[in-house]
Amino acid sequence: MNGLTKASLATAAGLVLGLWSAEASLNSEGIFDVERIGAWRVSPRAGTPDADPYTRAGLERSGEIPLALGEGLRFIAHVDDKGRALDAACRYQVGVRTPPARYWTLSVVDRKGFPIENPAQRYGFRSSELLRAANGDFRIAVAAAVQPGNWLPIGRRQSFALVLRLYDSPISATAGGINPRALPSIILEGCP
Amino acid sequence: MTERGWLSDAAAIALSAILLGALVHLATILVIPHVATRDAYARLAPLGAVNATILLERPGPTNRLLPYEDPAVASAFCRFDLRNGPVRVKARIARSGFASLSFHTRPGSVFYALTDKASVHGQLDALVLTAAQLRAVAARDNEDEPSQDLRIVSSSLEGFALVRAFSEQPSLYPEAERDTRSLVCLTEPPPK
Repeated sequence: MNGLTKASLATAAGLVLGLWSAEASLNSEGIFDVERIGAWRVSPRAGTPDADPYTRAGLERSGEIPLALGEGLRFIAHVDDKGRALDAACRYQVGVRTPPARYWTLSVVDRKGFPIENPAQRYGFRSSELLRAANGDFRIAVAAAVQPGNWLPIGRRQSFALVLRLYDSPISATAGGINPRALPSIILEGCP
Repeated sequence: MTERGWLSDAAAIALSAILLGALVHLATILVIPHVATRDAYARLAPLGAVNATILLERPGPTNRLLPYEDPAVASAFCRFDLRNGPVRVKARIARSGFASLSFHTRPGSVFYALTDKASVHGQLDALVLTAAQLRAVAARDNEDEPSQDLRIVSSSLEGFALVRAFSEQPSLYPEAERDTRSLVCLTEPPPK
C-alpha cells in the first residue's frame, strides 16, 4: 500500500466517522444541558445565548422556537415512569399534579415534534379545561381508543412523546431543583 | 508486505481516521448554527417581509412549519432588521390569559422576553436596537425626564419578535389569535 492510498483511506474514514457521529449526536436529542427528572427531560438553557453547541445545533436542525426562561419550561417524555419506551398500542395514565404554573398544557407529538392526526382532533389538554377530582388532582388517559374522562388520543400507531409545558411558572429558573414527584407520573395501564 | 507491516499500516490509518473524525465532528457541530438553513428564522423568512406582522397557522398535524408548537397557543411574529434604525415592537393584550412577547436573534437564541404581567394598560412596548444605537439614543436622553422606553439590545442585526397568546379553552383560540395580530414592528429613524 503506498502513502497516497493510506492517506486517502484515512481521510475518507475520518470524514465518514466525523459526519456520522455528529449526525448521531444530534439525533440522540440532548447530550448536555438536559435535566432528567423521572420520565421527563428538560433543557432549561435551550433558548438562551449560553446554550452549549450541541443544543444550539440541535435547535437549528429542528427549527423549534424555544421558550424563554421567563415564559415557561417545556418538558418531554419518551418513556413511562419505569423507563419503558412509550408505545401507541398501550394505555397510559398521566397525573396527578404538576409544579406550580399559571397555566400548563400536556400534548402528544410524533418523533419530530408535530401533533398526530386523530379522529377526535384533540392534540393536547390545557390546565384550564380539565376535569379534576375534588382535591384538584387530575388524571389524563393517553390511549388510542376512546377513554372516559380526560382522554388524550394517540392517533396513528407510531412512536410518540408527551410534552408538558408550564407557562409563567416560578420554578422556571431553577429546573435543577424540581422534585420528580412534583411532575405528572406516566403509568402504563395495559397493552391489549 | 509482511504481516507486521500491514498491521502497523492499518493502525496508522485507523488512528488518523479517528483524529480527523473528531475534528470533522466538532467542526460540523460548531458550523451548523451558522449555515442555518433549517432554523426557525429560515422557516419564517419566506412568509413575509421585514416588519410585517404574520400570524402563524394553528398548530396541528397538517401544519409542518415549526415543531413543538403548543396547539393551545396562538402566535404571530415579525422579522426585524436594525440596519435602518431601531425597531419599535408593540403588542396589545386584551384578555387576561397568559401572553408573552419574546425577541430572538438570527442564530436562534432568545435575548429577551416579557409576559403580559409586564404590560401597561394591556400594552407591551419595547425598542430593539444595537449597542451603538443604544449609545446614540442614551446620549440624547433628558436627565430630568428619564425615558420610559424599554430598550433591548440585540446582538444580531436581524432577528424576529414573537408574540404568544394562550387560549384557556379551544373555543377561545380565535380571541388569542386576535391578540397576537396586534403585534406591530416599526423601524424608527436612526439616532444621530
